[in-house]
Amino acid sequence: MIQKVDIPVSVLLYHDPQKSKTLPISISYNARDYKIQKIGFHHTFRTGRTLFHVFSVVADGTFFRLVFNTDNLFWRLEEISDGYAD
Amino acid sequence: MDTLINPEPIEGLPFNRKPSTIMHIDLNSCFATIEQQANPLLRGRPVAVAAYTTPSGCIVVPSIEAKKLGIKVGFRVKDARLICPDIVIIPPDPWKYRNVHLQLRELISRYTNDFVPKSIDEFVLNFEGYPSYRLGLTNVATEIKQKIKQQIGEWLTVSVGIGPNRFLAKQASNLQKPDGLEEINYKNFKKVYQKLTLMDLHGIKKANTSRLNSVGVHTVLDFYHAPLSTIKSAFHSINAYYWHLRLRGWEIDDVEFKRHSFGAMYSIPKPLFTPEELSPILHKLVEKTVSRMRNSGYSARGIHVALLYKNRAFWHHGKTISEFLFTQPDIYKVAYKIMTSSPYSYPVANLAVSVFDLQKLNSTQLDLFNTVLKKVNLAEAIDHLKEKWGDYIITPAMMLGTGDAVPDRIGFGNIKDLENFIFSDDKISL
Repeated sequence: MIQKVDIPVSVLLYHDPQKSKTLPISISYNARDYKIQKIGFHHTFRTGRTLFHVFSVVADGTFFRLVFNTDNLFWRLEEISDGYAD
Repeated sequence: MDTLINPEPIEGLPFNRKPSTIMHIDLNSCFATIEQQANPLLRGRPVAVAAYTTPSGCIVVPSIEAKKLGIKVGFRVKDARLICPDIVIIPPDPWKYRNVHLQLRELISRYTNDFVPKSIDEFVLNFEGYPSYRLGLTNVATEIKQKIKQQIGEWLTVSVGIGPNRFLAKQASNLQKPDGLEEINYKNFKKVYQKLTLMDLHGIKKANTSRLNSVGVHTVLDFYHAPLSTIKSAFHSINAYYWHLRLRGWEIDDVEFKRHSFGAMYSIPKPLFTPEELSPILHKLVEKTVSRMRNSGYSARGIHVALLYKNRAFWHHGKTISEFLFTQPDIYKVAYKIMTSSPYSYPVANLAVSVFDLQKLNSTQLDLFNTVLKKVNLAEAIDHLKEKWGDYIITPAMMLGTGDAVPDRIGFGNIKDLENFIFSDDKISL
């Protein structure tokens, strides 16, 4: 089931200067920590001049769409899915 | 480039024996595969991207798994669910697909500068004269496939076709799906043609098949062997000559089409009757169309409105006016007049607006009293606000209440807006 949401979340981000990579590694959501096992895709888009980074990730068997607003540096959770039909 | 430009009939033209220099790359089940790339829990499962996820929504792209079950483009969501109740239906996420397109474009540009994106998921590459040609096109294709998996997404697959001209490269990319790599050249073309039907040829559908059948052409090999005079009697146009060349591996499709129109369409969830009910939607469609047109640097003097009614009746009308328009209110006024001239009063299910007869904005004729200049300045000011704060930040009051109607959509064939996004100086690249 795909659930569209719009919730502020806490995301732990890791930057590796040697590999020039920045990756989210865990999410705190619903009073629980989820360790990210897989980043499916990372993309960006703009609304006006604000750049958003979207990370599509899987943590503990659940899919999360995480959106990072580069203007205010806030994370929001926009989608949760178990991969099954509604 | 081995292009025959003399349109004199060439009977007995042999198959072009030049080595293959054209490559066609086609991302398999594009939107659905990208969704599976983003969400690994969907991989290996039937998935479809639909314009709307409601039961009557139209499926835009089924995944490879869904296609194997018989689910095709154009199916209603409810029909797909009858075949596969477990199918996952996803609404389009245009920016995800645009990002993949831009990454593919960047990857391809490392091999040749002479490439054309034919759509959001298709590229045509010409290697003639490029150093990478010496590696062998099959090797280059294999490397591109590997790099797509390593650098863009491991779930993404492409079908690659190689040939001496664009048509045969495209045809070769259709031979094996998904994840194919095929070549059609002077050595194997007869063997390939033997296995194809006329309808398998890109550009030949029912009407053209009937035309060909009427002159005794029933197979692709018949088509290839038929004298040009026979093909001419089927098509009655220059197309006969083009097909004569295409099937023989000569280039005739090296043409880039320029932008002729901009438009937007909306399927109204709850059918609306009156112009008063329809005008907020019309406003938003005009707003979207004008915004895209102006971003691309055009004005227009042709406006077209189409209405599809709930009872499937269709009415449309286009109007060309004397002056070129580029502001939302001016174009809305004309569009509203056209819409209200419809003789029908059925509930409307689908409303579409487009502008045509385009002219570059910088060639707009100024008038004596500077009203045009004032409008240009106002339009520029509005565009700056939108650029800074996003679309629909400043809208006519009539648009209030339209909410999420007319969402961002992306067409397969339409990547011109994306080109504007990439190449426009004042846009920030990804």
